[in-house]
Amino acid sequence: MSKLKGRMFRVRAVATKELIDFVRDWRTLIAVILIPLIIFPLLFIALPLLLESQAEERSEFELRIVVQSESEVTDFMAFLDGDNANITWEELPAGIANLSDPGPDYSRVREHGVNAILRLEGGVEDNSTIWNYSILRDSTDEMANEATKRIVTALDTWEELLIEATLEENDLNPNTTLNPIRWGGDIDASDVATKGEQAGFALSLFIPLIVATWTATSAMQPSIDMTAGERERGTMEALLCAPISRFELLLGKWIAVALISATGVLAQVCALFFAIGFIASSSDMFGVPELSLSAILLMLMSILLFAIMVVAFQLALAVRSRSTKEAGSTLGPMIIAIIFPAMFAQFINLEGVEGYWFLIPVVNVLLALREILTNTIILEHIILWAGSSLIYALLAAYYASRQFNREDLVDSIN
Amino acid sequence: MKPLIQNAAGDSLSALLTLNGVSKHFGHIEALSRVDLTLNRGDVVGLVGGNGAGKTTLLRLMCGLYQPTDGNVVYHGENGDQPLVEMRNHLGVVPEGTGLYHRLTAWENIRYHTRLHGIEDEVAWEKTLQLADALSFTGELGRPTRGFSRGMRQKAAIIRALAHSPDILLLDEPTGGLDVTSAREVRSLVGQVRDSGGTVIYSTHHLAEAQQVCDRIIIIHNGEVRADGSPDELMEQTKEENLEDAYVSLTADAARIYDDVDTEGKIAKIWRKLLTPRRLPSNTSTPEEVNEDE
Repeated sequence: MSKLKGRMFRVRAVATKELIDFVRDWRTLIAVILIPLIIFPLLFIALPLLLESQAEERSEFELRIVVQSESEVTDFMAFLDGDNANITWEELPAGIANLSDPGPDYSRVREHGVNAILRLEGGVEDNSTIWNYSILRDSTDEMANEATKRIVTALDTWEELLIEATLEENDLNPNTTLNPIRWGGDIDASDVATKGEQAGFALSLFIPLIVATWTATSAMQPSIDMTAGERERGTMEALLCAPISRFELLLGKWIAVALISATGVLAQVCALFFAIGFIASSSDMFGVPELSLSAILLMLMSILLFAIMVVAFQLALAVRSRSTKEAGSTLGPMIIAIIFPAMFAQFINLEGVEGYWFLIPVVNVLLALREILTNTIILEHIILWAGSSLIYALLAAYYASRQFNREDLVDSIN
Repeated sequence: MKPLIQNAAGDSLSALLTLNGVSKHFGHIEALSRVDLTLNRGDVVGLVGGNGAGKTTLLRLMCGLYQPTDGNVVYHGENGDQPLVEMRNHLGVVPEGTGLYHRLTAWENIRYHTRLHGIEDEVAWEKTLQLADALSFTGELGRPTRGFSRGMRQKAAIIRALAHSPDILLLDEPTGGLDVTSAREVRSLVGQVRDSGGTVIYSTHHLAEAQQVCDRIIIIHNGEVRADGSPDELMEQTKEENLEDAYVSLTADAARIYDDVDTEGKIAKIWRKLLTPRRLPSNTSTPEEVNEDE
């Protein structure tokens, strides 16, 4: 076996073993692969469906609504939907300080004897009739909130009607008076961006954040398990006695962590595109992002360089720890160190962005991904982020290889 | 029966490993002090000493896992003196904790190491079956090691150490925690390795076991080699009638206690000092009183 072939054989042996070991741990498998796969379909498909069904369920609540006024306001009562609601009228109670003072109605609202009480009081201001109102309700009760929503909807409709009537009394056209400035024609037709480009722009605001955060978080657990975990369980000593160089060991473990992390990120991005595709197929408001082949390749390259840096750095930090607890305490704050610059990068204006932003670690990859998702390819920026990312990745790999050469690697906390 | 171990490199009794004035320091602690040793091919050497004597440090220096602070370790390979790393190709190690991956089966653990030695799976499997047969372990090869008893783990680790047919076998407390039958099987296997002409380095707390298994015993105490020779030579050297008395006579001074092993980083050290109480509760306090004080 040639020297290079021997090296490759050993690196592959390490990576294969780590992957088998990882796949056997079903808890980690769920955390790193299954959850990213279902999180976006759940968020974009299941959650709206759930909200819709809950709203429908709420609209069928049998509500008890009381309207209180000096005399019955029949104009308004007509707008209050009587379906699934028992609406009664009462006179305003005496002795209350103002309409919002629950007064004698406190206990029946609190004990849900009624779901909401609308109090109405007419008056005159500037020669016009005005109505003051308040709604007594328990804001922590779902039935009360639904009753409040129905009352507010009825009040809005009544208010519109009153405004229109007032305008007509004064010989004014409600439509021209209230909407003197209007969009001419179809608002969607005026946007020259395609649906796909619009989708790409919208996604550029959060896909980079997902990639950055998930690469870091999904690599953390396997990085700890394969380094500090080995030290803690005492398996490192036997391994280091085998004829494998520390660099080969690092490389094998790096490949395994990078594959696991990449699978997690890929699963999450695929699930996101599936959810978007599902929404796009059921509505014409959203499209599927259109990306050129070069944009896709650049995107993969930026993620790869970022993953090399993050995984190498995590392995290096984790291998310094003698227990998984120690490693967790070290790597936990590192996630924050990635999430914060990643969040800032979302708010940097891409138009006329200064070149130095593409040199800052984490921020450079995030900005690169945002540009790529909007199909903007600027050679100067690519050189800056690719070059700086490569340097950071190499520095992280060098640091990791130094940590893997530590003599105390063989020591176990046990 | 095929030999359990190779004796490919050189004649019996030719030098295999030489330690010249080797010392090892961890911070200000001197774990080993000026050790001069020569291990010959075919030797079955027992390293005997108490806890913290320096046995594991010496073993790790022999494997090249530690670099000596002073002196050097030379491996005399087939092609003359070679870097210590080269020795790993010919080395089988059973660490004290066995070092098995609990989510892998016994065979997968063994296969991982044979692959690292560049051995094809078919060849490794044949050798594994042969070794498992000798240790009555064939039925356990396909089981995950998670549920293994201490004895089963030890057997799996021994098979792993021998599966690439090393010419040096290094065992750190191989019978610790084993029942009588399993311990006997392990000793029998070491005997077979010896009969095959292999070199064995056997670290143990138990003098009787070392006497039973090894031709040569090295007694380590407080980081120093106190004696090196056959059991008879050790008794002669100390003028004692049995090996146990010889050992006691050689290690009569109190064992050192590491109370400040320098394994912490600077920040961790400062933090620990800030948070560690400087005074212990008074000797006169009962545990209840101590709890009340807290």
